[in-house]
Amino acid sequence: MNGLFSLYAPGDSVFHRLPVGWKYLIMFAATFVGLLLRNPWVSLGVLAAVTLALTACGVGLRHALGLPPAVWLTAGFLLAYQIAVGAWATGVVVACNLVGALYASRILTATTPGPVLVDALVAAARPLRFVGADPERIGLAVMLMARSLPMMWDAFGQVRDAARARGRERNYFALVAPVVVRAVGYAQATGEALMARGLGERRSR
Amino acid sequence: MIEFRGVAVSVPVLRAGRLAESKTLLAGVDLRLGERRVAVVGANGSGKSTLLRLVNGLVEPTSGSVVVNGLDSVADGRKVRSEVGFIFTDPLSQLLMGTARDDVELSLRGIVPDKAERRRQATELLAARGLDGVADQSVYDLSGGERQLVALTSVLACRPQVVVADEPTTLLDLRNRNLVAEALWGLEQQVLVATHDLELAARADRVLVVDAGRVVADAAADEAVEHYRRMMS
Repeated sequence: MNGLFSLYAPGDSVFHRLPVGWKYLIMFAATFVGLLLRNPWVSLGVLAAVTLALTACGVGLRHALGLPPAVWLTAGFLLAYQIAVGAWATGVVVACNLVGALYASRILTATTPGPVLVDALVAAARPLRFVGADPERIGLAVMLMARSLPMMWDAFGQVRDAARARGRERNYFALVAPVVVRAVGYAQATGEALMARGLGERRSR
Repeated sequence: MIEFRGVAVSVPVLRAGRLAESKTLLAGVDLRLGERRVAVVGANGSGKSTLLRLVNGLVEPTSGSVVVNGLDSVADGRKVRSEVGFIFTDPLSQLLMGTARDDVELSLRGIVPDKAERRRQATELLAARGLDGVADQSVYDLSGGERQLVALTSVLACRPQVVVADEPTTLLDLRNRNLVAEALWGLEQQVLVATHDLELAARADRVLVVDAGRVVADAAADEAVEHYRRMMS
């Protein structure tokens, strides 16, 4: 499954060798420049740059650039809507920022093994120990949150297919309850899996 | 040694929107399990999974206690979970990272502080199970058998004394079922398996038959499996 974030693919590109902190920095910089400046040419430039960078990761074009159809549909819809209301520049900014942010995050996730990402998050959260937070738990929580996004998307697809099979695909409210139930079930299963391996438990009981 | 001392488990049930009387999932369970390979068989909803989940504290007894190698599963929950590895029916709900190697590394986080050593050990553990070829593949791209073997490898990476598996072969085809069965029964650790697979159960040293929340038969494999067949016919 190649969801919103790309899965790590081993390689020896410059991005594979780059320290993970720099990759986080590139991701945030590429995301926030477009958001802050709101200029279509800047957003187009950032998108072109992260696309080129992602291509240079050497993880295969499809693996690097393939996004779920819903992302393209959303970006296309936002662009078309803004053009229709006479704000083409806003449309370009929003669509490019959306795809650009996902590609920027993929530079990080496609070239960095999962445990290294967790280690970096744990290190970044270390100062929070002074307010009683457990950096290890924070790192795990963020990783699990990122993992849950494609799972939730998958759950939505399955529920929509089940509704379609009964001719009720247009009733979006009817889709919400089963997706929420699956989300709760998924959260419970993940909690049990963590507990079964003794991960993320409080040190003292 | 796993001991169940007068264990009962019940859960409250909703009736007309209110919490009504409780439903008994397990009752009167008194067992001492010292055999290396123990199987638990029973119909759907009979209480097999509840019995297994008690062993590492995923379920707490309403009354009585469960003791694993001298540790109480509730009072010493964290220690018990470090001694008991648990394998779920669906490995995808158990695999927390994107690739097999990353998942095994996650299990090693609490044991091996050095990152490079963690990676080396994860690679070694996967290779020992013949999974080196799929170490960097997405867990979603693996076959059911490979996923279950990765889940087993991740559990074993935590170095448990006891391995508990809840219907580990239910979702697998015959070939993968055999692969997982060989891997499980070949472990050095004490293994407790709940299963509908009577061939798998027949290879255990001791088999428990559970029905309606009670252990109704507890014997050597041939005898207990035969009892279960008669019960189901």
